[in-house]
Amino acid sequence: MTSKTSSPRKGGASRSGAADTSDAIPLRYGDDPYVWACWLYYEDGMTQGEIADAMGVSRATVNSYLADAREKGIVNISLEPARLASLTIAQELKRHFGLADCLVVPSDDNARPLIDSLGVAGAMALQKLMKSGDTLAVSWGRTVMSVGEHADVQALQDATVVQATGGTTAAFSYTPELCAASIARAIGARCVGITAPAIVKSPEMRQMLLDEPLLQEQFATLAQANRILFGISSLRPNSTIHTSGFFDTVSLQDYLAAGAVGVVAGRFIDERGRPVAGPLDDRTVGISLDMLRRIGTRIAVAGGFDKVPALLAALRGGYVNVLITDAATGHGILRADGVTGLDTRISQRPKLVQTPSSYRTHVKKFLNNPNEVVEEMLDGVVRAHRDYIEPINGSHRALLAKSGPRPGKVGLVIGGGTGHEPCFLGYVGKGLADAVAVGNIFSSPPPDPIVQCAVAASGGEGVLFVYGNYAGDVMNFEMAAEIAEEKGIKVRTVLTTDDIASSPIEDREGRRGVAGNFFIFKIAGAACDRGLSLDACEAVTRKANLRTYTVGVALEPCSMPQTRRHNFEIGPDDMEIGMGIHGEPGVTRERIKPADDITDAIMDNIFKEMKATAGDRVAVLVNSFGATPLMELYILYRRVAQRLAAKNIEIEANWIGHYCTSLDMVGASISILHLDQELTDLLHHPCETAFLRIN
Amino acid sequence: MSENAARRLVSMFQAISDAVEAEKDHLSELDGAIGDADHGTTMSLGFLAVKAELAKLELDQVQLSDVMATAAGAFLNAVGASTGPLYATAFRRAGQAVAGKTELDLATCAAIIEAMGSGMRERGKGQRGDKTMLDAWLPAADAAAAALAENKGADGFWRDVVASAEAGANATRSMIATKGRAARVRERSLGHVDPGAASSVVILRAMASSLNKAA
Repeated sequence: MTSKTSSPRKGGASRSGAADTSDAIPLRYGDDPYVWACWLYYEDGMTQGEIADAMGVSRATVNSYLADAREKGIVNISLEPARLASLTIAQELKRHFGLADCLVVPSDDNARPLIDSLGVAGAMALQKLMKSGDTLAVSWGRTVMSVGEHADVQALQDATVVQATGGTTAAFSYTPELCAASIARAIGARCVGITAPAIVKSPEMRQMLLDEPLLQEQFATLAQANRILFGISSLRPNSTIHTSGFFDTVSLQDYLAAGAVGVVAGRFIDERGRPVAGPLDDRTVGISLDMLRRIGTRIAVAGGFDKVPALLAALRGGYVNVLITDAATGHGILRADGVTGLDTRISQRPKLVQTPSSYRTHVKKFLNNPNEVVEEMLDGVVRAHRDYIEPINGSHRALLAKSGPRPGKVGLVIGGGTGHEPCFLGYVGKGLADAVAVGNIFSSPPPDPIVQCAVAASGGEGVLFVYGNYAGDVMNFEMAAEIAEEKGIKVRTVLTTDDIASSPIEDREGRRGVAGNFFIFKIAGAACDRGLSLDACEAVTRKANLRTYTVGVALEPCSMPQTRRHNFEIGPDDMEIGMGIHGEPGVTRERIKPADDITDAIMDNIFKEMKATAGDRVAVLVNSFGATPLMELYILYRRVAQRLAAKNIEIEANWIGHYCTSLDMVGASISILHLDQELTDLLHHPCETAFLRIN
Repeated sequence: MSENAARRLVSMFQAISDAVEAEKDHLSELDGAIGDADHGTTMSLGFLAVKAELAKLELDQVQLSDVMATAAGAFLNAVGASTGPLYATAFRRAGQAVAGKTELDLATCAAIIEAMGSGMRERGKGQRGDKTMLDAWLPAADAAAAALAENKGADGFWRDVVASAEAGANATRSMIATKGRAARVRERSLGHVDPGAASSVVILRAMASSLNKAA
């Protein structure tokens, strides 16, 4: 923009008639009438007529100036990339599946959770589609409830909302009754319930209920529905279907075995959208799939990657003709159905032929034999830290704390893949972990070294396993625990799940363990060293895990020693918030921002979950992913301290440096441990390890 | 008779190893799209170790369950990561399922496939639709049980087993991985066959041709 302060339109108008040749082009436009015309049109907001007067040319000339300017590239019209992507995906979904309409919300809208964005979009659809006299059937679920919370449709007359299924337990907040009532209220409609359970005990009971005049009347209303609003549930372990207890688990397994991938209005469908027959068919009170498909406007509102297979099935089955979803899910659906070529269309910037990392194809590293990096590193580690650790039975894959384990003390065993140094072996020593099992790069150790650790760490009072929540680690540590138990060693396990960006709060147990391991290990080690019982050690470690919050940001990828190539790519101007320590996808990939803005984004996420009030105490860890220097970590820490100070939260202790890395990744993570008296006490308990000493 | 059955089981593992060896590069390629491109190598290492360890057995004296237990231990020590525990558990459960059995008839084969699938499911805490090897093994186990119940002959039995595994593996194209490394690429896993399901098909095909031929 310019620095003009007066009203541009008045200025433009006053010039009208004054200039009649191009000699009068103001100096700042050079001698380019195109730029002048564009400026007046796009920046000053004048009409083409006013511009013609100002420039002393005809209106037709102005029109051609403006058209040519776009062709010559003097003017570029750009849409915000996220919104453009949404539009492109919506258009493609509509075309590919022959939908009547499709609304796609951007996925990376940080301003509000996905469920709210979907709710707002669903509300817009109702506003546009609902007419007076309509009968709208309403199914149930979190997303449908969100539509009800956001909708406000005025001036509809004689509208009816009818529940699409029978009722459920009121143990959750988005039951069929509540959803229908909420939507009815939002659009000012009469609400008709289905006053029977959604699932009844027997086919006979269902028939008896359906014969009741009241239910017949209610079903008659349902049969009149000319529109329906419904969510779509996946069959994932954390889906609504599981958490609501709507179906019993036994039945679910039957349906999974029969190929079910999703649920539409309480009915199971397979990947092609065909109904899946099962034990609940004759016990379900509610709209049938055939009835649903006969309704004119069938609005599905659902989002989230988990739902891609279920949504695709519903689209293939023709249950949906108005789809409301988010960009990532929409893109996923298209990809799953084999639509290609969308990627280039939705990326705003032209794709570089070569990514910057291929400027050099290999990253330089200090290496001898790439296949021996782990062995050679461990040889160095054992030599460097002989004061703290020693190999168990000569193996570098199982390392024991010197003067750590002792009779009567619970043993603490940690471990995981390599590439995260000083995690995990840097935290083995007196007062902290008693033993560490070491795997290959980013890969879990097998059960054998873990068992050796358990045996060596055992002091007769049991052993506590603490490690990050990754599929490979879980399986190998579990097998090790079984073998250790067979050897008479009692084992308890705490999985670390501090990465709050890795999964939403509803799936807290599915989150990954990252740099916050540092705090959780420290608390567990102190509890064990104090001679607490196995129960007490486990309990306080769980508490530490629940009160540790980490978010990481990656700026550049890491490279594997065997290949010396980047193991994923981040664009030249991009960063990824929430990226995991093996390059797992985070919450959003966006343009890089100033350090304070990045820190604020991280801290906002942490504050969303950490219920700390003024006067509370925390411990702070600002951790480098490997290649980010201390200089930048201090810049991040500065802002963390400012944000905490603004809330009057006291920093009890802080650590800044390399504590849990990801090879040579550029990036950092911030971890906050929300302390209480017990945790504060254990945090200060003395320990002697290679990378953490407190005395 | 029991010596014959144990030998047949060992040659089944040899056939699996040969088949995996032949498909090694293809499996790694599939993995490259959504993982770290080592699945072929991993499986090859695992079954080579199994073959080597089984070669040490005195085949005239061992039981079917010993063969399975040996395979479990060899695979686990050679592989680690997550494939190791999954197949090791599968073989261990199969060993328990054939304890005391002396014949490698279709009922025993069905028991092996069923035990392997459920062993993997317990260890990986997964289910169908997760885009894993379970999407091949669980349908294969169902098909085996159904074929057995219908008294199908060996040809029909193995044809059903392999066809179900293939259909299951193909279906992983439209699934999103939530387990293991492929989960890290989330929606990018769409459109790709899960390499673990693909290698399961390779294994089941090798089992079919080895056990059906020798029946």
